[in-house]
Amino acid sequence: MSPSRILAIARRIAQGFRRDERTLGLMFVVPLVVTALLGWVLNDTKDTVVDVVYVNPGGEIGDRILTALRTAAADPDNDLRLVDPVSTEAEAVAIVRAGTADIGIVVPSDLVAQILAGTRPTFTIISEGTDPAAEAGRFGTLQSALADIAGELAPPGVTPPIIPQVERKTVYLSPDASQVDVLAPIFLGFFGYFFVFLLTGVSFLRERIGGTLERLLATPVTRFEIVSGYSLGFGAFATIQVVVLTLFILNSIEVPSFEVAGQQTPAFSIGLGVDSAGSPFLAFAIALLLSLGAVNLGIFLSTFARTELQIIQFIPLVIVPQALLSGILWPIERLPDVLQVVAHLLPLTYAVEGLREVMLKGADLSSTVVQTDLAVLAGIALFFVVLASATIKREVA
Amino acid sequence: MTATPTPAAAATAPAVEAVGLQKHFGGLRAVDGIDLALSPGRIYGLLGPNGSGKTTLIRLLSGLARATGGEARILGTKMPSRTALASIGYMPQAEAIYPDLSVGENLGFFARLEGHADKAAIDRVLDLVELRDRKGTPALELSGGMRRRLSLACTLVHEPKVLFLDEPTVGVDPALRVQFWTHFRRLAADGTTILVASHVMDEADRCDELVFVRHGKVIGRGTGAELRARAGTDNLEAAFLILSGLDPQGNPLPQPTPAEPMGGGGPMPGGGRPGAIL
Repeated sequence: MSPSRILAIARRIAQGFRRDERTLGLMFVVPLVVTALLGWVLNDTKDTVVDVVYVNPGGEIGDRILTALRTAAADPDNDLRLVDPVSTEAEAVAIVRAGTADIGIVVPSDLVAQILAGTRPTFTIISEGTDPAAEAGRFGTLQSALADIAGELAPPGVTPPIIPQVERKTVYLSPDASQVDVLAPIFLGFFGYFFVFLLTGVSFLRERIGGTLERLLATPVTRFEIVSGYSLGFGAFATIQVVVLTLFILNSIEVPSFEVAGQQTPAFSIGLGVDSAGSPFLAFAIALLLSLGAVNLGIFLSTFARTELQIIQFIPLVIVPQALLSGILWPIERLPDVLQVVAHLLPLTYAVEGLREVMLKGADLSSTVVQTDLAVLAGIALFFVVLASATIKREVA
Repeated sequence: MTATPTPAAAATAPAVEAVGLQKHFGGLRAVDGIDLALSPGRIYGLLGPNGSGKTTLIRLLSGLARATGGEARILGTKMPSRTALASIGYMPQAEAIYPDLSVGENLGFFARLEGHADKAAIDRVLDLVELRDRKGTPALELSGGMRRRLSLACTLVHEPKVLFLDEPTVGVDPALRVQFWTHFRRLAADGTTILVASHVMDEADRCDELVFVRHGKVIGRGTGAELRARAGTDNLEAAFLILSGLDPQGNPLPQPTPAEPMGGGGPMPGGGRPGAIL
């Protein structure tokens, strides 16, 4: 073993770094930027006002609860807003489905009897059930308000005050839908975007540095033909990827226990078996439009890379902010204002929203949200097509 | 305008023309007022050191770059023109082939882009570069010389009327180099105009006519014999130096190597400016 040879190798790495400002910047600046972004999101998460629809069971107790809720809503610390009360649970479900209210509260009509009998009454809480992160925040808001109400409701002499039990009902999915069910639409959007971007970026970079782009441009091919050909070629692979992923997410094949060499294998299942409420074809269309944008973003960014390593270095810039801001981890309405603006510039934001609408809520093409998402994604894809074409330099055509 | 000229016109109308052609990159005059008129059916050698403007000149002529001044015409069409591209074959310095495609797939791809995808044409160029038995081999698995041959085949597959070859024989073994030149000669006999950029002076004598460039300017042109006679030397390399305004006896010029005949040293302003092009 020769220390000088070891040092020579270490030194060679340092020398290479010295000439690659981009890698240096990446190592020291990008982690700071991403950490700062994360800190910003976490520190400045906004408390959003929770809209509550109250199902009034009528009678004196019903009105007392309504008054208590109004008092709670009047306190600005509670971030609570009451929409007009309704009289049946079905009406409340419809209002939550329409998005007019975030949460519905149903109070049992025999509340007084239950309290007097000493049993804990059960309140039913209705929510969408499609975004656990957002709903956890809303429940927190509601919980503090409910604590106030419970204190007021306790008849004199009853100690300790009666804390109602809460039963959850959801408008979409089942109340105990797993994280997988809720995240499935996001997998579909995210992987399509990420891999397609990476593969096109590297592939087009090779065209640029290998001289084949030069040779292409010396043929009568137009820039638009090149970009379209790339979109079609990678689009085909993105299609297969999205199809395979969709099948895996939506289906589940049970593999029973069987005997191998005298041993019983454990039973297992292949696929996630997520219930998609909406059309898989619509979900597929959203994922494909997203990929189309990713193909052309890859072509565009390949202009700014000299090596394949540098394409990989775009990941923290292209992928990480989208993972943080597109509504996957935090609901967009809880982001600081500036970051909300940024979020609305990111294609993944629209894809995640659209895929959630379709797969979790069963929205179809008549939904304005889905229409908007499709239109914006198409617009973004077109924008990157133009940008990518512009970076393919030739003086002809 | 890409139609074959009548024999009478062919004698007069140049296939490749440059008038006061200029290309500036910031302050660098990579091509600094070049006039050319290349006749059909002849092989021209474009000679000069690295960074003398050869590649930029070829890119201007083939429409890959826009001139800062002057103009280029291919078969009478002002460049850049997409229609003229169909009659141009351009072999870049880089191999410019797809390593993950087979030999046949590479050729098929470029042939289709040129709108010339017939099997016979592909087999013809494969025979020419002696890669027919490698048709199914991924380009990745070819030797350096074979990849060079494939690159040439991709350039020739659409039977262009005008050929721009940027250092086509780099990495090609001497035996195959002879074959390349035999083929260039055959193409020229069929009326193809060929411009070969090189800094290998020993290839120069295979050309019908030579164009010496230095610092983006033409410093001499004519047959090898004419240039030698004008410089008063029997060595083409020395002729280049003398026509560059250098004295091969007076200056301690480094031993000229085929790769870098002008490399470094000497009181010449600006030097060879390696890397200035591209």
